[in-house]
Amino acid sequence: MSAVLSRWLVPWLLLVVLCLPQAPARAEEIAGTLGAVGSDTMAGLMLRWGEALTRQHPGIRLQLQASGSASAPPALVAGTTRLGPMSRPMNEAERRAFIERHGYPPRELAVARDALVVVVHRHNPLESLGRRELDAIFSDSRRCGAREGIQRWRQLGLDRPEGRIRLHGRNAASGTQGLFRRIALCDGHFRPEINEYPGSAAVVAAVAEDPRAIGYAGLNHLTPGVKALARRDASGTRHFPDPEAVRRGDYALSRDLYLYLNLPPGESLPAAERAFLDLVLSPAGQAIVEELGFVALPEARRLRQRRGLALDETGR
Amino acid sequence: MSDSFPPSPVRRRLRQGRDRLATVLVTAGGIGVLAALLAIGVFLAIEVVPLFWPTGGTQTVSQQALWLPQEGADVPAGYRWDPTATLAADEAARVSLVPLAWGTLEAAAWALLIAVPLALGAAAHSALFMAPRLRSRLKPTLELMEALPGVVIGFVAGLVLAPWVERHLADVLAMLVLLVPGLLLAGGLWSRLPPRLQQAMPLGWAGLWLLPWLLLVLAAAHALSPWLEAWAFGGDLRHWLDVRLGLDVAVRNAMIVGMAMGFAVMPSIYALAEDALSGVPRSLAEGAQALGATRWQTLWRVVLPAASPGIFSAVMIGAGRAVGETMIVLMASGNAALMTWNPLDGLRSLAATIAIELPEAGPGGLHYRLLLLAALLLFVFTFLVNTLAELVRTRLRRRYRRLGNGA
Repeated sequence: MSAVLSRWLVPWLLLVVLCLPQAPARAEEIAGTLGAVGSDTMAGLMLRWGEALTRQHPGIRLQLQASGSASAPPALVAGTTRLGPMSRPMNEAERRAFIERHGYPPRELAVARDALVVVVHRHNPLESLGRRELDAIFSDSRRCGAREGIQRWRQLGLDRPEGRIRLHGRNAASGTQGLFRRIALCDGHFRPEINEYPGSAAVVAAVAEDPRAIGYAGLNHLTPGVKALARRDASGTRHFPDPEAVRRGDYALSRDLYLYLNLPPGESLPAAERAFLDLVLSPAGQAIVEELGFVALPEARRLRQRRGLALDETGR
Repeated sequence: MSDSFPPSPVRRRLRQGRDRLATVLVTAGGIGVLAALLAIGVFLAIEVVPLFWPTGGTQTVSQQALWLPQEGADVPAGYRWDPTATLAADEAARVSLVPLAWGTLEAAAWALLIAVPLALGAAAHSALFMAPRLRSRLKPTLELMEALPGVVIGFVAGLVLAPWVERHLADVLAMLVLLVPGLLLAGGLWSRLPPRLQQAMPLGWAGLWLLPWLLLVLAAAHALSPWLEAWAFGGDLRHWLDVRLGLDVAVRNAMIVGMAMGFAVMPSIYALAEDALSGVPRSLAEGAQALGATRWQTLWRVVLPAASPGIFSAVMIGAGRAVGETMIVLMASGNAALMTWNPLDGLRSLAATIAIELPEAGPGGLHYRLLLLAALLLFVFTFLVNTLAELVRTRLRRRYRRLGNGA
């Protein structure tokens, strides 16, 4: 038995071993698992990028753990991942913790544009809200300067819908809630009666079923059941959250989506990460961004970041 | 029987060894469970300590911030849970656990208020009056309800039931108002029926022939609701609540949570209470009836007291589950950290807060430790409920033991 085995097996094994070193040289094959920990807003985006990457390089798999932006920095600090998608920039404490551990700052890459939309029921006649009105609706601190709180639709000059405004939003500690607090509430305090949901889709669903509701959610979660409101600036100009206004930042509730890398200065990217970022910052990668309802980066920024990572000029 | 002749010494030693091994394993299992329970408490306590005594530059919170209403710089004073708030220089942290504890207890109270009368009524009926054939079908079905995962119940309650109730508020109110009189009316009518009809619809099968009547009552409530709304509430119940009582109706509110969680805890209360009631010796009830007691007197004065230890622990187990239940509250309550008596307002429980916020709270940070403190509080709650249940149960059992044995 063992004689048969060795007689047949050994030559085959030898053949396989001999062939191995040649295989990567032929197709420039990269293999491995790419781990990422972070934002749930970007989960769909990361997965689609991961799929596209596997199509280009069948050996690479992206393994994503999407438990919120706040989970990315601890994972990067602990070294359990080298890739942290975040829907907000790292704050000072998170950055400091990273530098303390690794001795150099994390590498920040903007990979897409996103916006928060304020949504109402599709039959609600409201079209736009000013900065102070929005703050007066969602906060009871009114740090943006409104004189009194707004709790009823009547106070917005509407006779329909009747009654009180019902508030919906994201949960505490989410990147989305933090951004809304910073920009729309001028760092103020949310009203305690605001309903909190662990995802933007749930917020939109709750608003879509209730004519008296208002809520905020990520741009990519818009459905036909809700209407996104325009934001009036100080001069009274209305800015709708359309792709152009989000890309240029005219719509004030827009933001960048980031990837944070653990990349020691002077070192070049490992092959798998390099392939991933090459894809993300390519026209194809940005097309996936648009497909999922986010907004692609401005072309100049995309190219600048490619140069920064020493990727070839345009991407495939 | 195998001991009819003396076993050989080898065999005896083998058996003694096996006995000893079994004893060690059982003891180890028992100690293991206790140690695990203790370890959870100790872990939570250790993680929470830095909140109160700064160790190596960790942020601390004051007891006042946790348990007392706080003045804000530019907001009304009150209990606030907003752990990620950006604070002005002279502002106290907004980390009160009071609204969360309130929400937990409020949700559990509503759930028990709905589940206990229904479950105990069903248990008493099926243990004492129901036809055995119907009972043998019904009991497994009700017990199967217990296997429904909380997520499913929460999903149905939050996404189907809540919007429906909000749109048909007057219908629901009319149903609640008409249900009890409707059932009492059914009882009154039945007792006046001619004996032949009574035999055709025996009491033991009431569970079946009451169903059409129930549907009829609900249909009547639905038909009457516009009239009720026009007559009592000026045509719009929601407007009336808003203007007259200053009450707002949240889509996901304490009432919805109560209904959904009541549905979830009902089967376990029913199953335990039913076992307790049918465990009461038949001779006790028969003796009471032989002495001239009516069915009601027998149930109320003899069977219920005799089964009270079991019924009490059934209710307490329901309470324990209601306090710890996470997904139903998370999906059906809207998670608004409010403290009101209004059952149509939202609420936010400790368990739901932990489930939503813990994944996003950085380990070791202030928010993380606050959530572990919330977990510790929840642990204490359930521990108290269970200990109380055990104490009262043993006392009741001691009191009624003579009654049960003497029969």
